[in-house]
Amino acid sequence: MSAPLQEPSREQLLAMAYVDGELDPKARAEFENEIGLREDVRREVVQLQRLGLLARSMAGPEPIDHEWRKLARDPLQKTSTVLAFAGMAVGATGLAALCAWQVWKSDMEALPKFLLAALCGGALLLFLVTLRGRLRTLPYDPYTEIER
Amino acid sequence: MILCTTDNVPGREIAETIGLVRGNTVRSRHLGRDISASFKRLVGGEIEEYTKLLAESREQAIDRMVAEARARGADAVVAMRFTTSEISAGAAEFVAYGTAVKLVG
Repeated sequence: MSAPLQEPSREQLLAMAYVDGELDPKARAEFENEIGLREDVRREVVQLQRLGLLARSMAGPEPIDHEWRKLARDPLQKTSTVLAFAGMAVGATGLAALCAWQVWKSDMEALPKFLLAALCGGALLLFLVTLRGRLRTLPYDPYTEIER
Repeated sequence: MILCTTDNVPGREIAETIGLVRGNTVRSRHLGRDISASFKRLVGGEIEEYTKLLAESREQAIDRMVAEARARGADAVVAMRFTTSEISAGAAEFVAYGTAVKLVG
């Protein structure tokens, strides 16, 4: 037996109206303010946007899609892909560490050594900050599930 | 919101032209997808990583254009067009634009 349907909350109704563009300018501005203040409302809006996008891209699967899905489940394909990316990641990290070690042990003067370390450290920090930003905003990006 | 590429909405009359509305975005795939895509360039066939990238950009650009049209009180966007350009390797800009109008009735 299916569970009884729950009445949507005030926020859910407002979110539906907001996504469908049915709010008047004043109500829209008020709701946009609420989106800025409440994480649950932000998530609700993104969820509804995802549904809207899904409805917009309702084209049926093509024969090639079945083959891609089969390949994605194939253990050989899956393991090989993971191994390939792991190999490249280990290689790149190892090479970077080796280069850093070689520079550290070299006869290079202290100032160029420091400047090189600052450049590499800065680039790494910038990458980590960018990654943090992407991971933080990913739940609010409704476009990631669009296929074509 | 009615979106159409024709200059009018067939069967409806335009009451007021609001003006140009547009939405744009620049998106990229992550490095892993770029690496996969570069290998697919070697063997041929569809590079679905980039098909997906452009589809994501297209939908986001449409949504931003519609949001602007709604904010300006439009009922429809006519003469809608898309344009795309490459900003850097693996990052695509997508622009959706058209004329926002109010319809009679």
